[in-house]
Amino acid sequence: MVVTGAGKRTYRIVRAFAVVAGSLVLFGSGANVASAEDGLSIIASVQNQTVDAGVSQKQPVAGVTITVTTPAGSIIGTGVTDVAGLISFPIPARDNYIVTLDTATLPNGFTMIDSAKAVSIVNKDDFTTTVKRATFFTGSSNTSSQTLFNRMIQRGADGLRLGLVIAMCAVGLSLIFGTTGLTNFAHGEMVTFGGLMAFLLNVTMGIPLLISAPVVVALGGLFGLALNVFIFGKLRRRGVGLISQLVVSVGLSIVLRNMYLYQFGGRTKPLNDYSQQTVMRLGPTSITPRDLTTAILSLLVLVAVALFIQKSRTGKAIRAVSDNPTLASSTGIDTQRIIRIVWFAGGALAALGGIFRGLDEQVGFEMGSRLVFLMFAAITLGGLGSAFGALVGGVLVGVFVEMASLVVPSELKNVPALLILIIVLVVRPQGILGRKQRVG
Amino acid sequence: MDWINIIQNTCKALTGVDAAYFALAAIGLNVQFGYTGLLNFGQAAFMACGAYGIGMTSKYFGIGMWWGIPIGMGFVIVLALLVGIPTLRLRADYLAIVTIALAEMVRLIVRSVRFKQYFGGSDGINGFSLQFRELSPFDPGVQYGIKPFQYSGYTVWTLLVGWALVAIFATLVYMLMRSPWGRVIKAIREDEDAVRSLGKSVYSYKMQSLIIGGLIGMFSGVIFALDRGSVQPDNYSRDVTFYILTALVLGGVAKVSGSIVGSMLFWGIFVFSDNFLRELTKDGPLKIFGVTVMQKIQVGAINYMLIGVGLMLLMTFRPQGIFGNRKEMALDAR
Repeated sequence: MVVTGAGKRTYRIVRAFAVVAGSLVLFGSGANVASAEDGLSIIASVQNQTVDAGVSQKQPVAGVTITVTTPAGSIIGTGVTDVAGLISFPIPARDNYIVTLDTATLPNGFTMIDSAKAVSIVNKDDFTTTVKRATFFTGSSNTSSQTLFNRMIQRGADGLRLGLVIAMCAVGLSLIFGTTGLTNFAHGEMVTFGGLMAFLLNVTMGIPLLISAPVVVALGGLFGLALNVFIFGKLRRRGVGLISQLVVSVGLSIVLRNMYLYQFGGRTKPLNDYSQQTVMRLGPTSITPRDLTTAILSLLVLVAVALFIQKSRTGKAIRAVSDNPTLASSTGIDTQRIIRIVWFAGGALAALGGIFRGLDEQVGFEMGSRLVFLMFAAITLGGLGSAFGALVGGVLVGVFVEMASLVVPSELKNVPALLILIIVLVVRPQGILGRKQRVG
Repeated sequence: MDWINIIQNTCKALTGVDAAYFALAAIGLNVQFGYTGLLNFGQAAFMACGAYGIGMTSKYFGIGMWWGIPIGMGFVIVLALLVGIPTLRLRADYLAIVTIALAEMVRLIVRSVRFKQYFGGSDGINGFSLQFRELSPFDPGVQYGIKPFQYSGYTVWTLLVGWALVAIFATLVYMLMRSPWGRVIKAIREDEDAVRSLGKSVYSYKMQSLIIGGLIGMFSGVIFALDRGSVQPDNYSRDVTFYILTALVLGGVAKVSGSIVGSMLFWGIFVFSDNFLRELTKDGPLKIFGVTVMQKIQVGAINYMLIGVGLMLLMTFRPQGIFGNRKEMALDAR
């Protein structure tokens, strides 16, 4: 252990921050969309929703009259939606507004899904950016006409897809925990990093995703490595305890998330490539070719990771370090090198997960932090520190969460994941694949 | 640059309602985190219990607002048992994972459309604090106090109640930690096994600490809701807990005065930097060498970044905070 002066240490940490910050300024160049809007506005969007075999598709509805009023009733603006189903209203201040859709102006054959939803209330606290969207849905969903069995199959397939991505992101989290003992609360931000980098390369620079994705994965790995070299490696060498490191990772997640918000803005945006998809039938389920491809790719990546950990020399070393770092290092394993590999691999996998999430949903500054809780549920279920546990746990959590949306409203589908966490911790705290040792 | 305004706002923030409700939440978190070593990352959920307790009772159940406090306490105890029973026997980070999940779940449930008739959905609950306002002896139209510490009548009333609660709970925790109970609690933080070998039920003491800290946090939510006159689900997001943690670490962990001073400093610094950055970007984006570095709408993000950096630096270089005692910061004994 090298003992350095306090000043030098401060300098190092500050430099570490500067490096991380510098790497993020990279995508300040063009992705800085937030700057485009000066004034506050409300964008109303009218979409016709059709559900075909469990997959919902949306088409914009043009020519619908929308009115924005204050709660007191004075009219801020009235307008008709354009071909994209959108109409924008400039508003004077962040305040409460009521956005009303005139149902009489809907094209023939279109009805509101829920007549109460013809009015949308915009709360002044909803303005996370200068623009607030109010979306109206028309059309009737025919989910109820499907049999429960079909819906279960469809949810199961969706859950499998989600689960594979969760597993991919969670493997790194679990390996980092296994080798260093750190519970990294900033892991979600590593996922977001992948999504945002993909946006930078694919949308801002216009590089096709097939070429930019490997670059993003490499950058994600380097990002993970940088976090280890400049922050957590330094903390370990200083002898900062694990709980303090955990709190540092919480601080890091706040810093990174707000850096993303600063550079990217608060809205979610789609990637360029593969955003238009037609649904195809696959047995009893329907899936887009893109989602099928990402699912297969995720599966291949996860099998490769599993084989790597199980068979390769480095993989064996990783397991040895997870098992007992002191013993591993006394047998000649370079534990610091293993830790660097784990951070690199964890960052790369998280970035890939971020790209897949970005394709599936959209890219946003919070995309990873929304996932981090499911990742924790996954690794707790699978067994903290076990790579295979993370794989199994991730898939199970994904399927469970999607299946749960059959019973609970989809806005609450993550809530049952908390139940998994609690039940697992009561029944089998070491997780499905965890070693039977004292975790208390 | 309007320095007078910035300094005035900063001074007001030092003793403002925000500092008071943060201080309450931090005192509660200190019982758990500072004294017992429990990583409760869901303090925001306990705050929401109090806020929604008073909001729901007066708005939906038609019984007096004050019934909300016992009901909120009931919520806190139920939630604390829910997360405590499975995790308090395990390593410290399990509690962190489960409480952070709990806070997110509570927020999802209260803002959901499904439970809108109880919790008001994403609009929250508004207009319930009349009963509290009516008790105010101050004239709402008059500005009380001397500049820069000047507040309107209703705010003075909230401040009075808020800081009185801070004083009560600070004294309570101070005495509690000097009681035999407090000594056991601190011993658990230092060495759980030693306490166990003395025949104490570590599990039960940890649970008591979690509940007591949560109840104090609940009062923080009550003050916050009364001040705003409304309850909004997104005011209880998981990041709120981290800001409170930052305030706590800033002031000093395992010290009653630390939570209070930390909260005041936190808000002083936060409001200062917020006002300062807003002044910088008032007349258009801030440019350095012709490169736009900051827009008005980015000020919030930069401010929160500073909080995160502050938390990281404090945890690394001065985990005991400004006034804390390093010996009391034995969180990593285990």
